[in-house]
Amino acid sequence: MMSIPLRDKLSATLLEVNNLQVNFETVDRKIEVLKDISIRIERGEVVGVVGESGSGKSTLAQAIIGVLDVPPAKINEGSIQFEGKDIFPKSDKNNNFRGKGINMIFQEPLTSLNPVYSVHDQMEEAINIGNPALKKKDKEEIIRKTLSEVMIRDVEGILNVYPHQLSGGMRQRVSIAMVLIQKPNLLILDEPTTGLDLIVQRKIIGLILNLKQTISSSILLITHDLAVAANMCDRIYVMYAGRVVESGRMSDILNNPQHPYTTMLKNSVPEGYMDEGPLKVSAGAPPDLRDLPPGCAFHTRCPFVMDRCKKDIPILKQVKGEREVACWLYE
Amino acid sequence: MNEPLLEVENLTIQFRVKTKLLQGGQSTDKWKRVLNSISISINEGETFGIVGETGSGKTTLARALVGIHKPKNCTIKINGKKIDSRKRDDLLLLRRKIGIVFQDPVGSLNPRLTVSDIILEGLPTDKKLSNEEREGKVKEVAKYVELPESKLESYPPELSGGEKQRVSLARTIIGGKKILILDEPTSSLDVSIQAQILNLLIRLKKELSVGYIFITHDLNVIKYMCDRVAVLYYGEILEQNTAFELFEHPKHPYSEDLIGANFSLSGTNLSTTGHESGEPSKEGCVYKNSCPKRFVACDEDPPILNLGKGQVKCWLYDERYKSVSTKKNTI
Ligand SMILES: Nc1ncnc2c1ncn2[C@@H]1O[C@H](COP(=O)(O)OP(=O)(O)O)[C@@H](O)[C@H]1O
Ligand SMILES: Nc1ncnc2c1ncn2[C@@H]1O[C@H](COP(=O)(O)OP(=O)(O)O)[C@@H](O)[C@H]1O
Ligand code: SF4
Ligand code: SF4
Ligand SMILES: [Mg+2]
Ligand SMILES: [Mg+2]
Repeated sequence: MMSIPLRDKLSATLLEVNNLQVNFETVDRKIEVLKDISIRIERGEVVGVVGESGSGKSTLAQAIIGVLDVPPAKINEGSIQFEGKDIFPKSDKNNNFRGKGINMIFQEPLTSLNPVYSVHDQMEEAINIGNPALKKKDKEEIIRKTLSEVMIRDVEGILNVYPHQLSGGMRQRVSIAMVLIQKPNLLILDEPTTGLDLIVQRKIIGLILNLKQTISSSILLITHDLAVAANMCDRIYVMYAGRVVESGRMSDILNNPQHPYTTMLKNSVPEGYMDEGPLKVSAGAPPDLRDLPPGCAFHTRCPFVMDRCKKDIPILKQVKGEREVACWLYE
Repeated sequence: MNEPLLEVENLTIQFRVKTKLLQGGQSTDKWKRVLNSISISINEGETFGIVGETGSGKTTLARALVGIHKPKNCTIKINGKKIDSRKRDDLLLLRRKIGIVFQDPVGSLNPRLTVSDIILEGLPTDKKLSNEEREGKVKEVAKYVELPESKLESYPPELSGGEKQRVSLARTIIGGKKILILDEPTSSLDVSIQAQILNLLIRLKKELSVGYIFITHDLNVIKYMCDRVAVLYYGEILEQNTAFELFEHPKHPYSEDLIGANFSLSGTNLSTTGHESGEPSKEGCVYKNSCPKRFVACDEDPPILNLGKGQVKCWLYDERYKSVSTKKNTI
């Protein structure tokens, strides 16, 4: 069970996204990228959004934190609540939840770091957002302490270094140190370790989980990597072609995937040696969002396809306990 | 006994890099050693894996094996015949026998040629064939790699990532190459597409009795695909063994760290989060700045030691230090 800090007498739900619909609209075409997305994050939870490239994961993250490029993006329908307040559509014009309430770490940390600030100045800036009145001496102390908390060996040596001079792993350490200072209640991670070497990846993920304990925040992890999600998440949402096709507890989904796409995703990851025979995947590729097949978007690859699947779009329905599946097999 | 399909002994590559001196502003040439005394051999029908992190020298090794880099003092033998890649005839033989598939299918396929013409690039130029014969051959290999005939007149930008890799493969096998070097062939693909290509590669190997050198940073993939594996770090092979021995009983501290960091669906130990790793060392053991088992001997370059079916380059396995290794391993 997750623990609810006493200071939060509010409800256990931190973030709620309801029936979100996002399009990318240009003069000559309209792409429906997110369709009827509803997700929920409880306080203290690590929630994953897992899917292959183009399924709409980053668009979802950007919609939540409010950094979608509008236009071409357009939120057509839906609402987002954070800590009980409407952040979309906005109820209060001055409601500045970024920085304080929600933070995001991107795959490319250069996106969240300011290229013309040294590591020291980035950190100082992060302190200034929440605590501008601190004494210079205290700020310096916090900067050094936090950088060593993310296991940077030579803290003095990197203070005057600029982001582009750091390795990918070191940049993510600095990003994490800034999050430690800002103590957001929700941390969104969009592919935080994709592209990093394995040993570094594993260390960064360990640091992120430590950070979560230290500042008791919730995490929304966006990843294409089911194995990374398996090691971090309490619950996940599986996305295919802009829709959630299955959601539930991480361990339940791994032990007993119910949507045929989730099963295929799991079977795609080689776990053993070659004598275990071919990987059980069917032909075909994820569809182009501009040209979706009618009915269930997975029907062109699904081994269980029925007539109905080619006509009607299956709706996400609760099947058992917390498990939800969008598939006509469970009708 | 059959000769190995390919034998490489003592492959060393260094690049000349220009470095600017701070004072004086003069530039000088320096040598950067990228591969150090690599020896490997592969047999017909075998998949030999090379695993290593970014910058360890994998692509340089692949390029040397197809004669793009031409190292001195290195012996390359194909079916027992010695090849001097600086001699024209030998280079032609090398190129006829060994083919390569790169990670980036975009960069390696000419966007202005049809798929059919790209595949034909793989036919040796001295082969005199009629147009019908050529067309027949293209259709035959397209079937092998499961590329629909309807795609043969398409251009690369119209293809998906998986289809592009199928075209690269078709171009390699049409010329009857016996050794295929696969440099991260699935690293840019989504997992379900990666799984399709891995299945295809396993089938092709059986049908065409070729040998593969499979290069990747992905441990799950290398474990599943390979008979034997070499672990590359900073241009040196630190351990070489059967896939099973390597993954079940890694010997080198670097192999242990790497395999221990791998994410698996069944769970990874994330409890230990360490400091950032050290830089590869230019003196003594290359791994000494990151090695948790480093001891006094490690300031000298360790020898390559035979151990059962495998080899390991680490002082812990030297007779003189056996006591250190048993003590260290039981802590
Ligand atoms: N700025 C944009 N303009 C038009 N289409 C976009 C834009 N950004 C994303 N898309 C489309 O939205 C879809 C989902 O993209 P994204 O959310 O980045 O997916 P993911 O993060 O799962 O890979 C893609 O098909 C992409 O083509
Ligand atoms: N032509 C070159 N000149 C100088 N350095 C090079 C050259 N090609 C590669 N390198 C260096 O050699 C090292 C190994 O590179 P590479 O073989 O591409 O590694 P990998 O494929 O394992 O990532 C890297 O440090 C890279 O920067
Ligand atoms: S709805 Fe039909 S096509 Fe879609 S996943 Fe379920 S069974 Fe397969
Ligand atoms: S030689 Fe020494 S430093 Fe190198 S891997 Fe072995 S124990 Fe570690
Ligand atoms: Mg994305
Ligand atoms: Mg490479």
